[in-house]
Amino acid sequence: MRGVRAVGYRRSRWAVLTGRIAVYVIVAAGAVAMAMPFVWLVPSSFKTLQETVLFPPTFFPRNPTLSNFKQVFDKIPFARYYANSIVTSVIPTAVSVLTCTMAGMGFAKYRFRGRDAIFWTILSTMMVPFPATIVPLYVMISKMRLVDTRMGLIVVGLSSASGIFMMRQFIMGIPDELLDAARIDGASELRIFRQIVVPLCKPAIATQALFSFTSHWGTYIWPLIVVNSDELRTLPLAIPYFSGQYYSFQNLINAASLMAVLPVLVLFLFTQRYFVQGITITGMKN
Amino acid sequence: MVSVETREYRAYRLQRNAAPYMFILPGTVFYLMVTIIPMVIGLWMSFHNWTIIRPTKPWVGIANYQKVLASPVFWTAMKNTLVYTAGVVPFQMALALLAAVLLNTEIRCRTFFRLLYYLPVVTPLSIAAVIWTWIYNPNLGLLNWFLRSIGFQGRDWLGDPKIAMFSVMIVAIWSGLGYRMVIFLAALQGIPETYYEAAMIDGAGRFDLFRFITMPLLKPATLYVLITSVIGSFQVFGLVNVLTGGGPLDATNVLVMWIHRRAFGDYQFGEAAATSFILFALILAVTAIQWQVLGREVTYE
Repeated sequence: MRGVRAVGYRRSRWAVLTGRIAVYVIVAAGAVAMAMPFVWLVPSSFKTLQETVLFPPTFFPRNPTLSNFKQVFDKIPFARYYANSIVTSVIPTAVSVLTCTMAGMGFAKYRFRGRDAIFWTILSTMMVPFPATIVPLYVMISKMRLVDTRMGLIVVGLSSASGIFMMRQFIMGIPDELLDAARIDGASELRIFRQIVVPLCKPAIATQALFSFTSHWGTYIWPLIVVNSDELRTLPLAIPYFSGQYYSFQNLINAASLMAVLPVLVLFLFTQRYFVQGITITGMKN
Repeated sequence: MVSVETREYRAYRLQRNAAPYMFILPGTVFYLMVTIIPMVIGLWMSFHNWTIIRPTKPWVGIANYQKVLASPVFWTAMKNTLVYTAGVVPFQMALALLAAVLLNTEIRCRTFFRLLYYLPVVTPLSIAAVIWTWIYNPNLGLLNWFLRSIGFQGRDWLGDPKIAMFSVMIVAIWSGLGYRMVIFLAALQGIPETYYEAAMIDGAGRFDLFRFITMPLLKPATLYVLITSVIGSFQVFGLVNVLTGGGPLDATNVLVMWIHRRAFGDYQFGEAAATSFILFALILAVTAIQWQVLGREVTYE
């Protein structure tokens, strides 16, 4: 048996070693390129303005200071932008998780007239590019008098095709016997949903919530169109605007950018396995 | 058999029959409200002279489409969108596949590396663009400092019309690579180990393993990544808007930016809606071609 295996491993020990080193070098080089903007941003947020314009630049701040962060709050209503981002991310996330889980249950566990037609309509409209609908969507929102309101930002994110699809895939894996047993015990459909399906879906719900939150936290084009007034700006709008206004204060831009990306980065680091799971479910079953 | 149509049973049956509709109602309505309905309205708008200023919206037939197709800036935006797609999608896919293959081998700190590669995906694009504007800054930017310190000339990465699009594409590749990598990783992990073992017993080398096992079995994932990447890159907007604003000299003006300007800059909503449908048709056609050419051979076992 050993002799047979050796045919596959004809490479000498040196070849294996250099191969492994090459893998590490490529992976590390890639990692440096991918992480460079963050690695560069963090120390630079603590530098004074004088130090940010130094050439050649320093990596570690000479006189680390927190005043950049304070100044951001003094110069612009940063706390307000933050609150806007939180509200316009958390509400659509909470609502869409509920609506997608419910819809997933409907499509996965019942046979009813029009089910497949509706489901395929939803799936095929996933291909409709969002930018292709923004103009009429804006007209609709303006007819509803929701332009320049928080509601106008929230209302477009209350459900999602990928969320419905993911929850359906997940709920299809729950055995029907479990639901039937509850029905025999006299549970209503709503109760089955609340007490059996939802608890079993927790990992999928977490995944869906995280996807939804990060995507809403970063959404740009829709707020750009709907929001006119400064006090409704969310962070993805406010940071580029701020950087345009205070273009010569790179220290402040850095501090503001860092504060804006930090929540999603930290959230992601703590929950990364749910992301992988979610991409696997939605990505591979298509 | 006696039928037991008691009142309770009837109530039970009613809630049982109504349940699926109640479950799908909110999700479906909220979703169709932002897709199908705007599409129908958009189609209507694209055949009317629809401006915010004038209350009457007269029917103009295909005049909007004709106007858009006759505009040189539209074609510039079209060309730029295609250049962007051709520049981003293949390189991003190749790099993502490379990263996935390498991060699927037994190396130390594998999870840590995967995390690093995925970080740009969760970063809000417009804020990432602000950070990259600073890196690209001709005077204080990290990139020019690095190039000068190894003996090259600095460039005006976003201000030079010749290379602005290239600079935008680098950021785009950076930001979306991790997502594609995870899809490839999931597909790689779905390939049974026994296939490789069997091939090795037959004397297959490393390259053979990749060429004759990994590549064919990655085909569905590759097709999925390709199609969604092309769809995504036809819609590029935020990144470009923050990095260059479409400039310099329309060098990075893309289709969605043209739509955005026609609608919210010039208030020509009819023309903007017509352009949206041109974009949509383009995406449909390109996706259909990819399916026809590549999708046939895909087997899902």
